[in-house]
Amino acid sequence: MIRKDRSVPWILVLLPVSAFILALFLGRYGIHILDTVRVLLGLDGPSDVFRALILRVRLPRVLAAACVGANLAVVGAAFQGLFRNPLVDSRILGVSSGAAFGAALALLFTSQGMIVQTSAFIFALVAIALVMLVGVRFGSSTLVLVIGGILVGALFNSLLGLIKYVADPLSTLPAITYWLLGSLNATQWSDLPPLLTITGVGLPFFALLRWRLNLLTVSDTEAMAMGIRVRLIRTVIVAVGTLLVAASVALAGTIGWIGLVIPHVARVWVGPDYGRLIPASAALGAATLILLDTLARTAMPSEIPLGVLTGLIGVPAFFILFLRFLRTRGEAQ
Amino acid sequence: MTKLWIAVSLVFLCALTGLAQSETTVIDQSGRSVTIPLPVEILVSVHGIGTYYVYALGAGDRLAIAYYIGVKTLSSASESMLRWEPRLAEILSYGDPNIEEMVASGAQLVIADGSQHEAVAEQLRDLGIPVILYRAETPEELKEAVVLTAAFLGSGAQAQADAFIADYDRMVNAIATDLESLAENERARVLFVGTSLTKVISGEMYQTHLIEGAGGISVTRELFGSWNEVNLEQILLWDPEIIIIPPYGLIQPADILDNPDWQSLNAVQNHRVYRMPRIIAPMDTPVPESLLGIAWLARTFYPDHVSFNLAEEIVGFYANYYQFTLTDEELARMTGQ
Repeated sequence: MIRKDRSVPWILVLLPVSAFILALFLGRYGIHILDTVRVLLGLDGPSDVFRALILRVRLPRVLAAACVGANLAVVGAAFQGLFRNPLVDSRILGVSSGAAFGAALALLFTSQGMIVQTSAFIFALVAIALVMLVGVRFGSSTLVLVIGGILVGALFNSLLGLIKYVADPLSTLPAITYWLLGSLNATQWSDLPPLLTITGVGLPFFALLRWRLNLLTVSDTEAMAMGIRVRLIRTVIVAVGTLLVAASVALAGTIGWIGLVIPHVARVWVGPDYGRLIPASAALGAATLILLDTLARTAMPSEIPLGVLTGLIGVPAFFILFLRFLRTRGEAQ
Repeated sequence: MTKLWIAVSLVFLCALTGLAQSETTVIDQSGRSVTIPLPVEILVSVHGIGTYYVYALGAGDRLAIAYYIGVKTLSSASESMLRWEPRLAEILSYGDPNIEEMVASGAQLVIADGSQHEAVAEQLRDLGIPVILYRAETPEELKEAVVLTAAFLGSGAQAQADAFIADYDRMVNAIATDLESLAENERARVLFVGTSLTKVISGEMYQTHLIEGAGGISVTRELFGSWNEVNLEQILLWDPEIIIIPPYGLIQPADILDNPDWQSLNAVQNHRVYRMPRIIAPMDTPVPESLLGIAWLARTFYPDHVSFNLAEEIVGFYANYYQFTLTDEELARMTGQ
């Protein structure tokens, strides 16, 4: 049943904005709240160090966390409907595996962030191109795409294993391992234009496509009977979703659970209608990743890998959702 | 007749000596008792650090297969290394140890890494090849590893091990004496980064012991585990006076000195960002060359306080332990002059 609670849209805006502002005030380096406010308002007073930390270190990182969280959650929500499978997330099509291989390959030769991100992005697109190739050859049914995704993901995981095997254990192997765990630690303003552009185009695209997404959750035959060009729409959704995931993973590394758990939490909150599910997933995904990344950079002197935190939060959250599902079906005490 | 008795007695004594020396039993750094038939003439090292213990004790020519830390292929070996070990192309190996290859080499003993080669050691023991496992992450464990290695390399090696330990202690004591007038707040506060700008050492790593041996204070000594990823805010909070970059990886001092976000750091403002030099093994790892690592760090931290001659120490170390003569260019690279 679709809920009609009119307060939801305001909370949707408030939640990520509150998390965003809170994150700017928190960090390992103690900066007084008033100094932070002065820096954000462009007033004189705070030292250059404070300005650099807030404007050049925290701000781009928090912005990146918001975009990555929103992207992964929205794509997860869209793919769960598209593939009619609640256990699907943005990694189903092998895109993350392709990106991981691309990043690892680049890390073998350089630690330059821009080159690593570009390589991750390119190989994420190569992965989806291979999946699409399978789709073109054998029909773009969800089953073919899923099988294609599993095959391509396995291929890139094997190649990634090969790279890790030959990587220098003193230098490149730790860098690859850390990248695979996910982090926004190295985020700079110069990293953001591709992510912001793709997010700025991709999220509105999914919001505009909401009613088609609703129709794609039924069978292909029924969707076609309602005038939907299923194959074309599915291909476009996969392509745009891939761009969002590729841009996110290229910057942040492989971050699990956001794309799987957040859409389910959003469904509990606003119901299954994609008109509300897409903005709710985006808001929850952004807020969640901002808060987790804030925890990752402030809890200890050393950074906690983001993928570790999303896993630690995601597993119990998913289990609670599963218990709720069983209770709804009357299968649990 | 007397000569005959003397000859018979000598043969008997030799036989007794031979029997006494036919095997030795040691406790390796994994706490296992290992019986090794003597003499060991053919050695395999699948421990990139342990290999250097063998060289330092004058037995490098007994290695049939050897791993060298940070060197996977000939192309990744430095010119110095190729000159130092002409057999490198023949014996260099890397990756997961190949049991059959080790057996085929005729290895009488394998030295391996206690943190990752337990299973390989079991397999080799089943095949009758003894395995020594090393775990050295402190100066004391390094010395213990060198003594352990000497135990199966013969009496000459024992004297060499004693000399190494004496040299190591002499260097640490000399630095301590030179710096004893320095108060705690005058000690260099050092950040040791890794292969990326925000990767740093923990308090449990050998590099922390090196910094302390050189009279410095590692600002990351409270961290635990292996390499830690930290963020710029934390580095600014530590505000180190000196930043050290290891002799591997791609980071150069200019990457830090020219980085606008790092400009407020004491170390950057005073241009005290250094990359450790490297001739053969990386001096920040628990290899015998780390003795020079301590000396280099102390000279870098306190150029006006230490009294030893770094160039003499370097030349002497390579001559005594690696039978290697440095070129003028290599020596200049090591001393930074």
